[in-house]
Amino acid sequence: MRSKPLRLAALAAAFFLAPGAGTAWAAKGDDSFAEQKIVLQISDPNPFKQTLVLNVANNILRHYGPDRVAIEIVAFGPGLRLLFAENNNKNRIKSLVDNGVRFSACKNTIRNMGKKLGAPPKLNPNAVPVAAGVVRIVDLMDKGYKLIKP
Amino acid sequence: MKTKFKKTIAAAATAACLGGFTGQAQAVNWLKMQGTEPPGSSARARVWGFIQPEYQSTSGTKLTAGPGNGTVPIFNRSRPDLKSKSSFNLIRARVGVRGTGFPLDSNVNYFFLAEYGNNGITRQGGGSVKLTDASVTLNHIKGMRVRIGQFKTPGSEEGLQAIHVFDYINFTNGANQLLLERFFDGDGSDDSAGGYVNTPNGPVSAFRDIGIQLFDWFYTDGWEHTYAVMVGNGNGISRGDNDSNRELYVYWASELLFPGTSPFPGAAHLAPPVWSAEQHGPRGARYQTWKLYAWYQDGKRTLTQENPGEYDRTRYGVGTTLRKGKIRAAAEYIVADGMIFSGTDGGAVPGLPKGPGLTDFNVTTNGEANAWYVDFGYLVTPKLELDIRYDVLNRNTQSASAERKFQTLTLGMQYFFNKKSRLLLNYEIRDAEAPNLPASATPNRILDAMDNRLSAQLLIIF
Repeated sequence: MRSKPLRLAALAAAFFLAPGAGTAWAAKGDDSFAEQKIVLQISDPNPFKQTLVLNVANNILRHYGPDRVAIEIVAFGPGLRLLFAENNNKNRIKSLVDNGVRFSACKNTIRNMGKKLGAPPKLNPNAVPVAAGVVRIVDLMDKGYKLIKP
Repeated sequence: MKTKFKKTIAAAATAACLGGFTGQAQAVNWLKMQGTEPPGSSARARVWGFIQPEYQSTSGTKLTAGPGNGTVPIFNRSRPDLKSKSSFNLIRARVGVRGTGFPLDSNVNYFFLAEYGNNGITRQGGGSVKLTDASVTLNHIKGMRVRIGQFKTPGSEEGLQAIHVFDYINFTNGANQLLLERFFDGDGSDDSAGGYVNTPNGPVSAFRDIGIQLFDWFYTDGWEHTYAVMVGNGNGISRGDNDSNRELYVYWASELLFPGTSPFPGAAHLAPPVWSAEQHGPRGARYQTWKLYAWYQDGKRTLTQENPGEYDRTRYGVGTTLRKGKIRAAAEYIVADGMIFSGTDGGAVPGLPKGPGLTDFNVTTNGEANAWYVDFGYLVTPKLELDIRYDVLNRNTQSASAERKFQTLTLGMQYFFNKKSRLLLNYEIRDAEAPNLPASATPNRILDAMDNRLSAQLLIIF
């Protein structure tokens, strides 16, 4: 019979090696197990760029696997429309979030758009507000993330 | 004539079956595609358009009876000039802009489109360019979007669909004569010397009207349901109303959404993958769906010249479309009551001597008619689609002597150069008769002159 410590070690190993385990970790923002770290920037008013950035995230996930890559999409300026609650791509965003992709929304942009709209725009519940989109990108790059602007 | 036509149809149908011909049709929510923009992801102004140069040809058989005896009848001449039996023509050249004027607010959309081609829209009423669409949609009220301006009316699939994804070059007899309305000031009954010569008083309706439409769509268990109620002038495009009567349009469609993407390259640029119905449903023109729809249109027309007065005009229909895999199919049945377009005197071009007067167009104000079609298409390869359509129009069924029956079998081919360019070839086997009159009667001798028609069209979308 195996000893108790061995069984605990086997359980722990099974947990970390199980499909989706990395996804769960990544979803919580823990990217320490990721072999690749990528930050995607969306700041363009062109709606096609919204589709493109989501396609790129999806392709990266497919190539590396959700448990081997950390992806964060940072939206600011006109690109923040991707993270509006009403956005046509909200189901794609939800699907990517379920696979560990993180979405950050620039608070500066939210504030400025709020002035034009009369109230802050309603955001996708999966979007995490950050102080400034550009600063968030710089911070992530300092942590070893590679910046890609589709 | 009739027997020959039936034999031709039978032969074509046999060849189609042996060739694995199965079918094809449109299937999409046109009200959503044409009247709204994807929320949060539409452009401030997206410029787009298309060009459709074409060539059409008949044998140019001449009339052997009637006022136009010895001349080429109107139905053997190329549209819209009606001067030659064959012609190159730039039938459509449209440029438009659509989007969300203030991109942060998805609740207000607009749609603008102008026609530069040579057709029934631009030939009549002066000017070489006509506005076909100019509308604003307000999406503020859940369950009741509001579209205001000039746009396609909710109705028959053949008229409501975007013309640049139409699978044929020419409309069916029913859509052409009963739904693509020509507007007149008289009914063509004045045959006296120096009398009124009845010709269209402006552009064809182009299946459009000016007015206000309430509409929206919702989802239940994989189905997308769409409703629309519209009130308009009933006077088509490029003109205001000429009476105090309003046109009422009512429309309902229920569409089963098949998962997956479309294999059809012709309009794939409009078709991102289907993710779920909740994501506002499919927006592409060639999504895989099965649609059932019904529509109703009712109003009055006012004549000011011959037999002046107000006349009822009613149209309604039911239909279905299917697009699944490489196959598409469509069928529709249309009923018309009042203001039946009845062609020209003796099938002759307008303006020829006719007894004391001149040949002109006729409208049967108390006429009745019905029409139907079936349409199939099969995508043989990703670049090649074969099409076949059979359509029937029974015109002026209220009178045995005035009744005319039009039948056309259209064999078609679409070659897709890429997602935005294609070549269409059509061969129409056409037949018409006065079914209640002997073969030797003048109307049947006139209709015997109807030729088959060969058409080719190039379509470029940009």
